[in-house]
Amino acid sequence: MKKKLSLYPYLLTLPALVFITIVSLYPTLYSFYLSMTRSKKGIIEFVGLRNYSIILRSADFRQSLWLTIIFTVFYVLLTVIIAYILALMLNRGLKLTGVYMTIIFLPWVLSEITSGVVWRWMFYQDYGIIQNLLAPIFKGKALITTNWGAMAIVIAATTWRSISFGMLLLLAGLQTVPREIYEAASIDGSNGWNSFWKVTWPLVRPTTIVTTVFLTIQAINGVGMVLAITEGGPGRATEILGLHMYREAMQFYNFGYAAALSVVLLLINIVLAAFYLRALERENALAG
Amino acid sequence: MKQKNAINLLINAFLIAFCIVILFPVVYAVLVSLHRPGYGLLSIIPDIWTLENYQRLFIYGKFPRYILNSIINAAGGAIISTALAALAGYAFARLEFKGKRIMNAYVLGMMMLPGLVSIIPIYRIASDLKLINTYTIMILVFGAYGIPLGIWIMKGFFESIPRVLEEAAAIDGATPVQALFQVVMPITLPGLIATFLINFVYSWNNFFTPLVLISKTDMKMATVGLFDFQHVLEGNQDELLAAACVVIMIPAIAIFLITREYFMRGMVEGAVKG
Repeated sequence: MKKKLSLYPYLLTLPALVFITIVSLYPTLYSFYLSMTRSKKGIIEFVGLRNYSIILRSADFRQSLWLTIIFTVFYVLLTVIIAYILALMLNRGLKLTGVYMTIIFLPWVLSEITSGVVWRWMFYQDYGIIQNLLAPIFKGKALITTNWGAMAIVIAATTWRSISFGMLLLLAGLQTVPREIYEAASIDGSNGWNSFWKVTWPLVRPTTIVTTVFLTIQAINGVGMVLAITEGGPGRATEILGLHMYREAMQFYNFGYAAALSVVLLLINIVLAAFYLRALERENALAG
Repeated sequence: MKQKNAINLLINAFLIAFCIVILFPVVYAVLVSLHRPGYGLLSIIPDIWTLENYQRLFIYGKFPRYILNSIINAAGGAIISTALAALAGYAFARLEFKGKRIMNAYVLGMMMLPGLVSIIPIYRIASDLKLINTYTIMILVFGAYGIPLGIWIMKGFFESIPRVLEEAAAIDGATPVQALFQVVMPITLPGLIATFLINFVYSWNNFFTPLVLISKTDMKMATVGLFDFQHVLEGNQDELLAAACVVIMIPAIAIFLITREYFMRGMVEGAVKG
């Protein structure tokens, strides 16, 4: 019986695995080759590592990298802080928890472009609802037309969209902390803040790290929200790496250079994924 | 106890306020779409309520065609990923075989591989194969994107079904294949539907992939059509633009509300379980 079955598991798994290999993995590997070419008037020419040396010398790349770092740091910080507050509140088992979670989750299931359209309206010159609230502080100039303003809007919108991700991950971590531990702490007379730092924090620190790295990976690969809200503007003020790559390929047809950028992005992802898996391992070791 | 109630009251108040803030952009899009033309951004609440923009939308540009394209691409991709993920998910949940751990790790790795790093080469390959501006390329890519998450969701479903069912079927003389298709799959139907719907929503919402792979007007998806509309309509026909936003939001929200539990579970498990 067992012997007759030996091919069966592979017949079930291989279609899926072969499919993702052809459509996802192969193109990713192909980008290594593509990154060593240059196409001129339709003729593909092998140029070795030239595209990478261009990247190293490119001021545009350095600026995009810098903008990606700013975007990532602020987005991740903001998301983790808000997600933490929400997760701690929802962990109390309130009656309406399900309703709150559904609503907080909602932006995630909307397309980046529909969200982008609405966020642009809210910051529209003279009519934007939030723009008008902020106008007295910023002397009437539309925030979205300023370099830092545009970046702040993009960060806020991205946080709004994916706060639920952080919240769910943190909540899952908090729920592994047994209730008795809180109760023991409150009998000891420690207040909420103290019991959080002394009792909860050491237990949820691994989850926090996992969440932080996960959000970082998301941010590095972000492109949709920025494209929908600012298209990288004003000028190049919000042109993060993903968008830089998109523009080089689809607007300037520098496919070799864009492919080299995707390889760089892939390497950044691999490093982050390694961190992520290590953090996961520690978290699981602690939970198990 | 009294103190605890007071704290809970405060927390509820905070959460309700927070939810209103979160919901505001969605509600705002609906409100703008119900203004008469030219008045969309002048007030939050319409002075005259109208559905006119929705009527206009369905004869505006190629919007109905975009919606049709979105349905074809998203449904096609979701069918592929659900079918393949169901088979693989079953094997991962139930069977022991050589290489299982490596395959599992591979799926996880592919789940972490962001679409962004493969889109440029996919564009090049697709253009060499003359697949740019076709349903085929969109369905293939969406199918592949959906497989890893689909496997995690389906695996969870199969694990929740008692093994006794297959054992009973085996005693009745059913082959493993018969047991899978005639006994297990029908019970897993809710799981198959959930996997299909979740993948449908992710593809329906996808904006960046079709933006790169489709440039021909007739083949555009609704999200890319909306991006074009944004360039033309923002600032002069915002109400029409808002109506298009709402039409794209509705199926996503409806499906989310139906599959809420699986949506969230898939998100957490995909990220944490490994």
